[in-house]
Amino acid sequence: MLVLKSWDTNLRSREKKTLWSFLFLYACLVLISLFFVAFLYYDLQRELFLQHQKEALSNLTNEQITRLKTLHVNFDKERFYPRDERFNSAIYDSALHEIFSTLNSKNVNLYDDIYIKDHKIYYIKELESYYLGARYIALEVPEPAHWDKKIYRTLFLYGGIIFALTVLIGYFLLKLLLRPMRDAITLLDRFIKDTTHELNTPVNTILSNIEMIDPTQLDPALLKKINRITIASKTISNLYDDLTYLILSHHLSSHDETVDLKLLLEERLEYFSLLCESKKIRVSSCLEENVVLSIDRKKITKLLDNILSNAVKYNTVGGSIHVELHDGLIQISDSGRGMDASKTKHAFERYVRFDRSVGGFGIGLSIVAAIAKEYGLFVDIESKRDEGTKVSLSWKK
Amino acid sequence: MEKIVGFLLICIVCVSARESTYERHCVPCHKELPVKIDKFFYRYVLKYSSETEVKHAMMHYLKNPTKESSIISDGLINRFGVKKKTMLSDDALSEALDTYWETYKVFNKLK
Repeated sequence: MLVLKSWDTNLRSREKKTLWSFLFLYACLVLISLFFVAFLYYDLQRELFLQHQKEALSNLTNEQITRLKTLHVNFDKERFYPRDERFNSAIYDSALHEIFSTLNSKNVNLYDDIYIKDHKIYYIKELESYYLGARYIALEVPEPAHWDKKIYRTLFLYGGIIFALTVLIGYFLLKLLLRPMRDAITLLDRFIKDTTHELNTPVNTILSNIEMIDPTQLDPALLKKINRITIASKTISNLYDDLTYLILSHHLSSHDETVDLKLLLEERLEYFSLLCESKKIRVSSCLEENVVLSIDRKKITKLLDNILSNAVKYNTVGGSIHVELHDGLIQISDSGRGMDASKTKHAFERYVRFDRSVGGFGIGLSIVAAIAKEYGLFVDIESKRDEGTKVSLSWKK
Repeated sequence: MEKIVGFLLICIVCVSARESTYERHCVPCHKELPVKIDKFFYRYVLKYSSETEVKHAMMHYLKNPTKESSIISDGLINRFGVKKKTMLSDDALSEALDTYWETYKVFNKLK
């Protein structure tokens, strides 16, 4: 039942991840659209504001033009440019050369009639009569403080409400769209989980019953058949273990203990002995005493089983397996078919298989890599086609 | 006596040579008018604005003076008539207009 629960959690967390990814993208799109609309709204409001300002500035400009007219008439007596505390101004001839200016800015866009720059409003007007040679007059007034505060408030308020509503609608729509798919996946997963779970009981029953049979009481032909059943059951049992590990790998808590590797290796070699015998594989070992590792027993067993299982599976009939144990190093080499040296770096990837002549899903070495990564172990594969493979597992002493 | 007359003649030639085309050919005639020469300048500025356009309009008028192309009021034209076509060369006219512009331009004169 633990398997079922964890599988469910896995599915939900994946669905949640998809949901969040979608919502993030959806929110980004909504935000971009809202920013575009907000920009248009702001621009419109700014134009309206400037239109209001234009009327007042036009009146001020007319006042200044009247003063320029007076100065033009009396230019032989008076040379003082008319100033007003309400605004700064400048005059330009038809070639856009500045005749005189009291503006703070030197760069005035005479092609625009009104605009805001550096918190100042600039108003440009073309004169009908060019007093003092001035064809254009520019007025500069300070931008009213916080004139756009109300616009920003409106934008944030309505933008926020629209954004929240759109995201909420998106969330419910996605839930609605995902429901049939979710139901189908849940059904399929439940089926796989139940099948996997139900596999364990019969396999264990077969194996425990075979263990109860006394081989000495059997005639050689029956013993041979029983051995075949044992091998097949162990293969299914290994597959079950791998599937369970894949399902639970992220949720299983480790129970680390000091494991005597010599004892464990001997135990695992014994476990695979029948399988080796069936393929007439010679097994030799050189195991040092007192080599220990602080690790979860189930995980190191899984790791070694996968390497040994590969050594048997991809070995030739009548081949050999040699296991060595030293302080900080386990080496398992076989005289099997091997693989191209260039492919060894991809051997740890899940579902990658280089030899399809034997059964398997390509998950064994990916489990080895996951366990090794968890405990900081280094796995190295050396392989030559038609010569064999050597897997080295090392760790810092 | 002859030496003195000769010296005076040379002095007169030298002084007149140092006077610009504008001073020799424009100012004397305008002095006789009741409207000062600067008023004509500001009338041109009022209508044409920039240096290039003012000079171009003046040049055009001086070479082909007509009642229609004149910028002065009808009253003054009726009283003094349209001026005669200039006898100056284009270069001399340009030089005179340059001096006229520099003398009365608004640029750098406002405070």
